[in-house]
Order: sequence, then structure tokens, then C-alpha cells
Amino acid sequence: MATTACFIIVSRNDIPIYEAEVGSTVKREDAAHLHQFILHAAQDIVQDLAWTTSAMFLKAIDRFNDLVVSVYVTAGHTRFMLLHDSRNDDGIKSFFQEVHELYIKTLLNPLYLPGSRITSSHFDTKVRALARKYL
Amino acid sequence: MDPANTPLGRMLLDEISPVVMVLTTPLVDEACQKNGLSFIEMLSPFCVFNNIDVPVRTASDQPYRLQKFKLRLFYASDIRQPDLQVTKERLKEVITKAGEEESLNLHLDAPQPDDLLSRSESEVLPSWFKFFNKELIRTLSFSDHEAFDHPVVCLLVVSSKDDQPVNRFVDLFNTDQLPSLLNDGAMDPKIHKLYLLLHDNQDAPPEKATKFLSEMKSTFGANALQLLCINSSRDGLVEHLENPWTLYKSDALSTHSLGRFLNKDDVNEIKDLTQDLASKHVIPSMEEKVRVLNQQVSATRKGFRNQIKNLWWRKGKEESLDASNGPTYTFSSTESQIRVLGDYAFMLRDYELALSNYRLISTDYKLDKAWKRYAGVQEMMGVTYFMLNHSRKEAEYCMENAFNTYLKNVPAGHQNATRCGLWWIEMLKARDQYKEAASVYFHISGEESLHSAVMLEQASYCYLYSKPPMLRKYGFHLVLSGNQYKKCDQIKHAIRTYQRAISVFKGTTWSYIKDHVHFHVGQWYAFLGLYDAAVVHMLEVLMCAHQSKTTQELFLKNFLHFVQKAGKACEVLKLPLPIINASSLKVVFEDHRTYASPAAIGVRESLWRSFEEEVIPSLPTARTNWLEVQSKPISRKRKESNVCIVGEAIQVDVEFKNPLQISIPLTNVSLICELFERSDEAQTDASTSSELQNNEHINLTAERLMNFDKSSFALSDVDCTLESGSTTMVKLTVTPREEGILNIVGVKWRLSGSVVGCYNFLTTTMKKTATRKKKQKRSFTDNLKFEVIKSLPKLEGLIHTLPEKVYAGELRHLTLELSNMSEAAVKNLKMKISHPRFLNIGKAEHLKVKYPTCLEKRTDGEQTGSLAQPIEGSDSVFHFPNDIVVRKDSPLSWPLWFHAAVPGNISLYIVLYYEIEDAESFMKYRTLRMFYNLEVLPAIDVSFQISPLPSTLQKFLVRMDVASRTSLEDFQIHQLSSLGSQWEISLIDTLFHPPLLMSAQAFTCFLMLKRCEKPKGSDEVSSLTPCIGGDVKLSPNDDGESLYDISLSPLSDFHNCERLHQEKPSQGDSDTVDFVLISRRVHSESGSGVSYSPCLLSNHACHCSISSSSPISWAVEGPREIHHNFSASFCEVSLRMTLYNSSDAVASLRVNTLDSNQSGFLLSDSSAVLPTNQEGWYNVSLESEIKVTSDVRGTILNSLSSESIRPIIWSGSSSTKLQLEPSSTVQIPLQVCIFCPGTYDLSNYVVQWNLQWPIDQGNEETRPNSGTCPGYPYYITVLPSS
Repeated sequence: MATTACFIIVSRNDIPIYEAEVGSTVKREDAAHLHQFILHAAQDIVQDLAWTTSAMFLKAIDRFNDLVVSVYVTAGHTRFMLLHDSRNDDGIKSFFQEVHELYIKTLLNPLYLPGSRITSSHFDTKVRALARKYL
Repeated sequence: MDPANTPLGRMLLDEISPVVMVLTTPLVDEACQKNGLSFIEMLSPFCVFNNIDVPVRTASDQPYRLQKFKLRLFYASDIRQPDLQVTKERLKEVITKAGEEESLNLHLDAPQPDDLLSRSESEVLPSWFKFFNKELIRTLSFSDHEAFDHPVVCLLVVSSKDDQPVNRFVDLFNTDQLPSLLNDGAMDPKIHKLYLLLHDNQDAPPEKATKFLSEMKSTFGANALQLLCINSSRDGLVEHLENPWTLYKSDALSTHSLGRFLNKDDVNEIKDLTQDLASKHVIPSMEEKVRVLNQQVSATRKGFRNQIKNLWWRKGKEESLDASNGPTYTFSSTESQIRVLGDYAFMLRDYELALSNYRLISTDYKLDKAWKRYAGVQEMMGVTYFMLNHSRKEAEYCMENAFNTYLKNVPAGHQNATRCGLWWIEMLKARDQYKEAASVYFHISGEESLHSAVMLEQASYCYLYSKPPMLRKYGFHLVLSGNQYKKCDQIKHAIRTYQRAISVFKGTTWSYIKDHVHFHVGQWYAFLGLYDAAVVHMLEVLMCAHQSKTTQELFLKNFLHFVQKAGKACEVLKLPLPIINASSLKVVFEDHRTYASPAAIGVRESLWRSFEEEVIPSLPTARTNWLEVQSKPISRKRKESNVCIVGEAIQVDVEFKNPLQISIPLTNVSLICELFERSDEAQTDASTSSELQNNEHINLTAERLMNFDKSSFALSDVDCTLESGSTTMVKLTVTPREEGILNIVGVKWRLSGSVVGCYNFLTTTMKKTATRKKKQKRSFTDNLKFEVIKSLPKLEGLIHTLPEKVYAGELRHLTLELSNMSEAAVKNLKMKISHPRFLNIGKAEHLKVKYPTCLEKRTDGEQTGSLAQPIEGSDSVFHFPNDIVVRKDSPLSWPLWFHAAVPGNISLYIVLYYEIEDAESFMKYRTLRMFYNLEVLPAIDVSFQISPLPSTLQKFLVRMDVASRTSLEDFQIHQLSSLGSQWEISLIDTLFHPPLLMSAQAFTCFLMLKRCEKPKGSDEVSSLTPCIGGDVKLSPNDDGESLYDISLSPLSDFHNCERLHQEKPSQGDSDTVDFVLISRRVHSESGSGVSYSPCLLSNHACHCSISSSSPISWAVEGPREIHHNFSASFCEVSLRMTLYNSSDAVASLRVNTLDSNQSGFLLSDSSAVLPTNQEGWYNVSLESEIKVTSDVRGTILNSLSSESIRPIIWSGSSSTKLQLEPSSTVQIPLQVCIFCPGTYDLSNYVVQWNLQWPIDQGNEETRPNSGTCPGYPYYITVLPSS
């Protein structure tokens, strides 16, 4: 499992709708904003790259020092962004695919408004379990 | 694109140019200092030649012409590697100075990214970036692995004042004073020398100098010696139009005084000198050197043989190498010479030649693992490719290669990497590859904070200018850079970068980013003492529910601290903390509707309306009609706004929400209001409507309101503490003191005792479609606008001693107290109660009575006179007597009776209507709304089961089951009363008394109900009038308490209500009976929470049906005990059966007597089955249970029945058939013959009945049409008479 990993889902209008620190290290207070900064900045690259490929998984697209940003873009241009420090492309890809499935299930919920914050605790526990499994 | 015209090209031409080493005597400098310049500074402006036009011939035979050229002059003492520390200090100074200038712009808003993009790059970038980069590059000059800083020519300058100038020239070029680089062999010490004699015209006429010159010419040769005369101007007042020196003097203190002694001739002379220097000395010597070196290199290295040899030689050398640095190369080594050749060729713009040499040498250095030199050569190759303007890829590859080699393989190669990176960046920028350039900037940022800050900031601008603009990266790098600036105390720069970043992140939902940026900028502003700006930024981070508790505390603490520091009683508008839930806003005011308690306010308006409908006069009559002209215009206006009354508070409920994890104290929470005289109304209407159109005005209004004259109304001040994550409803009131128009504008509060925040209801709610529960049609703002009218009397009502919890059945005596606080009196009181079943209005004389004794039956038989009159309808309005007027000092008390009819939660609504005596007032009437919520606990359950007594038709057996439903209280059953004229009730066993009803217990008792003979002509007497025998005392003994008279007012009133509520359909009046069970609570110290008072509990059971399941009842009458002499004959007994048809239809009956085996049991002991007065009721079923006593006398049942000898047979007709009219009786005779003594049960007959309904009533399936009833047990004992 990666020591540092921050998973975030960004809606198509650039609003983070789900955030989770899934690394094994204890969450540091000052790291939260750094992670957001890195992921936020990485979107500049995502917006270019997303149109160059038909694959949803964009691999590692950006890095900051030893932190790497991997991105998965759904068909609706919701972006799953993972900031991590370990190189495990296959694991990350599986992670993204499973989270995508979860996300679709969330979307199917008639009470969930697409683009709004995902507050489901079930979703949260599932994502964390997947992170433990794959990252 | 001409590479030479790109920024990189210009930079390279500038920096990579021939170096002239200058050696001077002190007197030379002295002469120059008169102009405020050093010798080099004096010459520098004239060392740049834009159109020198010199033919150059290098390796090839084809000459070409140089147009632009530049010389760099250095003192010999400066020809060494610059001190890094000094450079750093200087850079820091520059940046600090730039920061100071920046402070002027701190207050301005940062330019928007779009703004920046529309402007050109050079405008946006701070000018000191260029300087900073240049200085960084210069820190690397005179490094030992590069040759372009090697001095080409040495200029020796001696003043004409020096004695023996010739000797001075010799001394100057003493090896001791020469730079170490020349001495240790890195540079070629054999330099072309040029001698210059400087003459100061102020000291002596030029003739002296020419004399020296001619002397020296013989020594040094004519070409190598020059004369320069300066300071020709004697008064020192030469004004240069464009002072050429300002650019070269870094710390220009007095730029206009520079070169004040140099007149035009002097300047021209200097120009000639430098031109001469360049074209006649520098270029030719370089040409020569290039040619010489080229020949050497060709001889040793070019050609196949040389290459093989070279490779072989290097391989052999490999083992002895010092791995880290590679071999040291002196100027005479072949490698160094190739490098020099390349650099010279580069400086002479023969890029092809330079490139071929760089290529050649780079492989050598690589093989030698001389990484620094290798990287240096790669770097130059990249630059040369660029200048040649072909093969981009090659150029970039070389730069990258050099860059990485510097970083990885060269110890302390960071400086070199920086320069390489800067060149590389310029190269990328020249090709519009901003994104790549940014990442290079990022890589060269390094550890040193100031350096990295500048680099990161430059990186951010690269992102901004990349296509398409990468704004998020731009913001991120600005923040990174600002962070670094902060680390090296460049606060102002930090703020500048963050400010620009904020413009990118504006409106972001990335919470941590927003908090970080605003918090830091806020802190830095505070650090600079700009607390106002700090507060503005801290406001942004107050809503930080996502942060941890400590962070939230930190934010809030800082904010409060800054606010305090900012001085002034800071009125912060739009304070985001706490959150105000605008939709929860609730306004409670009293116009003609007044409320007795807050609970009454919470009741739905529609509910009150429905209650009030009957009480208040209908609207058109109460309001104006068209004839009342004088009040019409006012009322129309008033219709538009709510009405409130001077001196009566308007309450506004505002919901505050604290999203943080820390509790926040709020003090001085109050409303913001404005009150206008009525004449101002039109004007203010206009002004408010215009104010609503722009927010700025509203802020102004709010500020104006803060200082509004507060004498005309009173505001309540509330202090509260909002716990973490909690929502608190705060009730605020405003009480107008004058008539006029009152506007409730907003709410303000003081946070943590220091910051005042306010919230404007109008601005926020205007956007929403305002709906409030009271008036849907009106907009929200109208609900906050009140017409204040002059004071009116207002009744305040209170019901004394109304308990919150009571037991079901409790009957209590209450007092309603109405008081009037104002001078004016009120009259015409009316009252309506929602549940007359629970609450009954008493009579005036009830006020002073002693309860419960007042309800006791008078033994003297004299009626109290308050016999209940049946009330007209359950929901009618009670009119107080007309003469009742409530004045100020005379509160009105009125008795009320409360009866807790059924368990559960009961909401009692009471509406009191009153009219105002003062006829001139705007409002004719007002209503007082009272609301009480009670909890009625279950206490006693009583149920009655009535079955006709088999023996008689007029008597009924009443089984009363009494159960206690509470576990906390004991009850004493006092009395049971039956209502109705024709009923009389009595205990079956007069000695039986029901025990004290303990908690959660039950008992059963049996009573006898007897139908009285109906007196003739009393049919029209109401059934409510009880006859004398209607009460049974059930209390244990004669404790002096008499029976209660249930016909007295409250009891009978409540009973009527109960009757109405318990009414069942299709019940004949004569077939039902009402019971009232009166009991009392035994006082105990229980914790039930129900206050004890000596009161009665009355349970009403109405409409208890006396009819059995069959519509036909009958009774068999006859002797019970007969003495007969059986020896004479058998015994013949005559019986009489009376049949009664209780149904509405004609019944055809058939009575069959049966003589079958199954019936007619002989019972051994008659006493065993006789009904006793034992407690408890058992359904005696003879078929299943036969009580046989121990002393069996005579026969056994089984044997007897098997014998089938029946000692008893029916005689007479075995089947009688007859018709019976509704509600009529008929008697038929029966006869039975008994053959031997014993006790017999004569139940072996069957009554079959068949009802013949009239046709129009028929087909009701609920009623049985026919049936068969077995006979009742009838015991007859026949004893032998002997």
C-alpha cells in the first residue's frame, strides 16, 4: 500500500465531489492543502490529455517531486484523480475501474444529483477498501 | 526567425564575447573618479559596437564581416570565479528593493489572469527577473572549464602623472598581480598586450602626455601604445543628453553628475579607442589564434589515423583516472585547445567551426569522464545549434544532456545547471514551448529559498503564457513561489504572488486551497501591519467546517486578533459566521390577533382562523364600508403592510447555525430596524426600492441603520453560545415606541465580543421567492415592514393551576384570569374552546365554590339551583355577561372546569374575543389566542356488561370491570351512578364493597339494574333527569362522605359531551343506560409527576346496551321448592313463561319442550350451584362443570343418565307457537310432572324465534332474522312432604 495517497473525484465543472486520504501514513494537517494544490494543478494537463486518447485511464500524467498524479476520466468527464507515491500502474488501473463502477452505482441513485458531493458512507468505505486492496 | 534577435541570442552575444583584461595604476582610477566612474565604467558604454563592420577570416579562407560586436572589460583582480556569497547578497538586495516598490501596489487588486494574458510578457514580468537571471549566469563566469572568459587582450593603463610610466607598465604586468587562473595554467598566460597612457587634462596640458608617448613608443612599439586624454572640461558642467553611463552604473546615486568632466572630444576619443581596440587588436588576435589552433587540431586530431590513436591513447589512460573530476587539463593540452578554438570561433560567430570542435571534444571528455567539461561542451553545442537555427531536436537534446549531467554527475554543479537551465528555458521560450520551460524552471529552483522563489515565480508565468494558458498550474506555482518568498522573509513578494494566485482561485470549491491562500495572505498583511486587508482575507476562511478543530481555532483566533489590531469597533458586514438560515426566519407580531403564550404562536394560523370564524365579526362589517370615507385611504395603505401596535413587541425568530467544531460565543444579538414617521413613508419607499437594486447601497443603508436613532423603538439584546455544529433559534424582539412605519432590516451580532457582523434580510431573501406561512401573496419584504399604530388595550390571559399531566377522568376546577395592562377598557368578551369535552366554562358563582364538596348531594334535598341545562351545541361560543368590562386594575377571573376525558395528548385551543371600548381606534376588536398542551395519563378503565337477568324481565345484571391502568397511583372507587329516568341501580350484595383499587389491579363487581316503572305522562321528561335510585355508594364504609350529585353543572355538562362522543349509531334510547363512576385518587408520594389535588375522577360510560344478543327474552316463573307426598301421586308443577320481544319487528315464536336424555340432570346438592355473592364471576356451564360435594347422598350422575328412567317429563303442550308484537310481552303456561324428589334443572326447552321485518326495513344483514335459544336453567326442588 502506498504511503501517501490522496483520492479525489472532480465533477465536470471542476468541483471536488469526493475526497479521501487513503495513504497508510497518518494524515498530516498541512499535507491536505498541498495535495489539493497538486491535484488542482494537474487538471490543466488532464484537460489537454483527455481529448487525445480514447482510453479512460490516462496513467500518470503529472508529478510533483515524488508524488505522481494518475487520472481516470469517465465518459461524462468526471475525473478520478489519485495522488500517490508508489508506481503500480496495474493496481491503480484496477482501482479506478472498480471505483468507476461504484460511482456509476451512486449515479443510479435517484436521490443523488449528478455533480453534487458524494456523502454516502457506503461509497466511502468501499473506496477505502479498494484502496487497501489495490494501492 | 533570426536566432540572434531572440532573447537568448541577444543574451549570448552579450555574455559570450571577448574579454579584455584591464590593469591600471591607482592614479588612473583617481583621474576617472572625478567623473564618478571607474576606468572600466568609463569605457564600457563604448565597448558595444552595433556596426563595426570588420572582415573576419577564421579557419576557412572565405572572409565574412562582423556587424555587431562587444567587448567585455574586466580588471585583472576580477578575473576569478565570483564569490557566490557576495552575489547572493546582491541578489537579495535587488529583490528586497523590488519588494519595496511593490508595496505601493499591495492594496490594489491583483490583475486577473485574462488581463495579464492580454498584455505583453515584458510588461507583466517584473523587470528584475531579467537582472536576476543575468546575475545568476554571471556567477559562473571565469570558470575553469570554459574558455570564452579567457582574456583575449590585456590593456595596461598608466596615468601620465605616474612617474616613470614605462616602468609602471612593466610593473603592472607582474605575474604576482595576475589572476590565479592565468597562473595555475587554466588560461594561456601569453596574452596580446596593449598599452594605454591616460592623461588628465586638468592636471597638465596634453603636451606633457605626448612627450611621454613618444618616449614610450620606442619601448613598446607604435601599434601597441595609445594615448587617452580625458577631463577636458575644466568646470565640470558637461551635461550629457543621454548619459551613456547610467546603464552601467548599478547604484546610480547621482546619474546626472556622471562624466561631468568629459566633454564631447573626450567621449569621441574614448569611442575611437575602443573601436581601435576591437578592430585592430582583439579581433585580429583572435583570428590568429583560431587559425593557429585549427591547424594544430587538424594535425593531431583530424583524420582517421588520429582518431584511432586518440581512442587507443585514452583507453590506456583510463585506469589512472581520478573518477570524480576527470583529468585536469592545462591550457596546453589538446583538449583545452580544442575548447578554446571552439569558443573563439563561437565568439567570432563562426558557428560551424565551433560546433565541429565542440563535437570533437565532447566525445573525448565523455570518454575521460570529465563530466563537468563534458556538460559544458554539450551546453555550448546546444547553444550553437540554436544559433545556427537548425535541428531543434539536437539543440534541446544537448541542453537536456548538459543539464542532467550537471545535476547528476558534477559535484556542486547546481550553479552550472542553473545557467544551463536558463539558457535552455530561453531556447524553449523562443520556440513557444512555455510548458516545457516551466518545468525546467521548476527543476532549477533548488533548495535555496530566494532562488527557488524567483524561479518558481518565473515558472508560473511560463504556465500563464503557454498555449492554452494553464491557469491552475500558474496558480499553484505562484503559491509555491510565495511560500519560498515567505521563507526568506520577502513578505511583500509573497503577498504579491499569493494575490495573483487568489485571482486564479477565486470562487474555487477546493476548500483547502482557498483556506490556505487566504489564511496566509491574511497573516502576512497582518505582519505588515495592514490589518484591514488581513481581516478581509481572514473573513474568507472563517467557514472552515472541513478543517480540524485546531485549525478552526487558529483561524478564528487570528481573525479576532486582527480585528482587534485593526482598531475601531470593527463593523464587519456579511460576517459569514455563524450561518443564518434565512428560510427559517419567522416573524411573530400581534395585530388584532394576540397570543397568550409562545406555544400559541406555534399553532397554524389556519387552525386559529377556523376557530375564530364564529367569534369574530365578519370582515366587511368590522372593516370599513364604503360609507366610512375618513378611514378608507389609511386602511388601504395599511392593507399592504402588517400592523403592529406601539408598545407591543414584534418577535423575529432567527436560526443561527455554527458549522465549526468549536463553540462560538455571540453577544448583543439584536435586530436592525428603522422607524419612519408616516410622512416619510413615500420617500423611503422610493429609496428602498432603488437600494435593492445594488448591493453597495444596501451596505450603506445598513451602516446608516447602525446609527439610526434608537429612541423610537426598543431592541432586545440576546447573548448566546453556539455549540459546535449546533443550530440555535434566537428570539429577538423589537418594540416600537412611536407610530410610523417600522422596517426590520436585518440582524446584527457581536462575535466573541469583538467583531460585529450583520445580516441583511432584504438582500438575501429578495432573490428567493419568499413564501411565509402567513401570507403567501405578500413578498417577504412586506412581512418585515410594519405599520405601527397607537397603543391599544391588550388582554393577557392565563389559566391558573392547569396541570400539564393529569389522569384520565380527573375533574378539576380552574380559573381563567384575564388582565388588561392598558388604560382603555375592553368589553363584549366572547370565548370559544376547541374541546368542550375537556374544558367547560363554569358559571360566575362557581368561582368561589369549594371543590369537590360543592358537588355533593345535599342531604336536605334542596337543590343548589345549578341544575345543568343542556347546552345548545358543543362548539358554540360562550358570551360573557355584557356588563363585564376589563379595566386596568381589575383583572377578570372566571371559573373553568376541566375534565380529562380520554388518555393521550390533548391540545386545547381557546380563543377569546374582545372589543375595545375606545371607538376611535383603528381596530375594533382583538382576539386572544391561548393554547395548552396536556398529557392525560390513563388511570381507570371501566367497562360494563349488562345481561338480562333470566328470572325477571325488568332486572338486569351489570357486571362492572374496573381496572387500574397506572402503576403509580391507587384509587378509591367512590360511587357509581346510572343516568336516565327509568333506571335504578343497586349492589346485589349490599355488604360488598369494592376494595381500594391498587395500582395495576382490577376487580369486578356485580350490580343489579332495575327498570323503574315508567310513570304515566313522564315520557317527555328528559332522560337526563335521574331518578332517586340512580346512585350506588361504593366506598368502603361510612366515612361521612356523601354521594355526589351527577346532575350538577360540570358533571352533567361533561356527561353530555361524553354522550355525544360515545354515541353509537342505531341505538334505541330505551335500551341503553349511562353510567358514571366516580372515584378519587388516594394520595401517595409517587413520582408520577402528576400534581395531587383533592379532585374527583369521573368515568363516563354511555350507551351501554342492555339488550342481549337475542331480541327475544323470557322468564320462567313458578315455585322453587315444593313439598309433595310422592306416595300419593306424582307431582305436577305449573310454570309460567313470560316472553318479551325487544326488537322492532313482529316475531313468531315457538317454544318446544324436550324430554331427551341430555337434559334434566339431577343434582345432588342444590346449594352448590346457587349463585352466591362470592367475589368473581364464573360462567357456570352445567354441561362441562358439575360441582359435586364431598358428602354425596344418593345417586351418581352417570348411572342415572344411563338408566334412562326420567323422573321428570314435560306435560301440557310440547310446542307452543305464537306471534309477538314489537316491544310486547306474552305469557304462556308450562307444566311439568316430577316423579321423585330431588332438585331438577328445567332448562330442557328451546325457544325458536323468527323475526318478520317490515319490507322497507329489511335486508339488514347485521340483524339476525331467526334463531334458537336453549332454555335457561331453572331449578326446582321437590321434597317429600312426609
